[in-house]
Amino acid sequence: MSRTSNRANGDIVRDFLSIADLLGETQLAQLYAYLARGSEATVQDVMDDLDLAQGTAYSYVNRLVDAGVVEVTDDEQPRRYAAREIDLTVTQAGDREYTITPALIDAVGRRETNADIDTYIDRHGVAGLATALTYAVARERGEVTHRLMADDLDISPLAAEMILQALRAVVHEHYDIEEAGASLEELDIDDISADDA
Amino acid sequence: MNRFYIADTGLFVAMGQPSNSRYQAVRRFARQNDVTFVLPERVYEELTVDDPDVEDVPVDAAIDEGWAMVATPLEFSKPIVSRVMDGIQRYIANADDRPADEVERADAALAALAAQELCMGAATEVYIYTTDIAAGEGAETVLASEGYGDSVTFVNGFRFIEDLRSTGH
Repeated sequence: MSRTSNRANGDIVRDFLSIADLLGETQLAQLYAYLARGSEATVQDVMDDLDLAQGTAYSYVNRLVDAGVVEVTDDEQPRRYAAREIDLTVTQAGDREYTITPALIDAVGRRETNADIDTYIDRHGVAGLATALTYAVARERGEVTHRLMADDLDISPLAAEMILQALRAVVHEHYDIEEAGASLEELDIDDISADDA
Repeated sequence: MNRFYIADTGLFVAMGQPSNSRYQAVRRFARQNDVTFVLPERVYEELTVDDPDVEDVPVDAAIDEGWAMVATPLEFSKPIVSRVMDGIQRYIANADDRPADEVERADAALAALAAQELCMGAATEVYIYTTDIAAGEGAETVLASEGYGDSVTFVNGFRFIEDLRSTGH
């Protein structure tokens, strides 16, 4: 193996490890997802929008910059930061493959505020969540149902439905999928009175 | 005009607990419009499974309150019921490139129940509330091929609840 390919390998391993850190720490994942949603942000924006103390915000942003997943877009004060696109495919021995995307990092970042995502990661790990996210995208595209997912993964249909619903917001945030089905107006229900609750 | 409302697992999961405003919005919709959501047996079984990893879904509360009920068993002796079951399994299998016999029969039970009600003349319009787009669109497609294209509407459970809430229900 040549020296240069060794170096390239080293870079890839470094990237992989920094992304693994992201997936292991919910707050870093949250911050990355926040930066990936907008175009760029200052540390003040981060403090305001994610409700972080100044020291914490600086430390997280710096860790993401050091990890290479966030870059400084404007060095003038106040500095502006933007997320770099992550699209990392990991192949396990055999032929299982998963892709780490901003959507997955976003999903992991939501575990603190979403009990269903939190439980799912506890039971099936981040790798399991990555698989569930693949099904969530396919389901919103009308390619698969919660029952097929349950069958494939040997979980109850109800557990499949729960995690698919928990991931739905992530799917629509990161993928451009048109909403299917009739709207309330199209239902043509004769008379919905304003309020007789 | 007789309307029949079929609900899938996802609608009940999306409503949350009775204390949740989504649950209350759907209940209000049902009461105001005299709607009873009918669940195929398989759907009811899914919702009441004993799984320690998931929170209980209050389907029995909705049944007790009178705006949901479990359907009687499907009548497979009616040719259209079996035909629609097979048709949906093929449709969903095709959407995901897998053999039809791998597709869960509960996915097909929604459309089969619709077919049964329509062919018996018990209903003239059927609405299928599901969060599985493949099951909903499959039902519309397969029932259209049976001549019931204008009688079946797939309602996306998420969109339904969002619409109810944005219109102040």
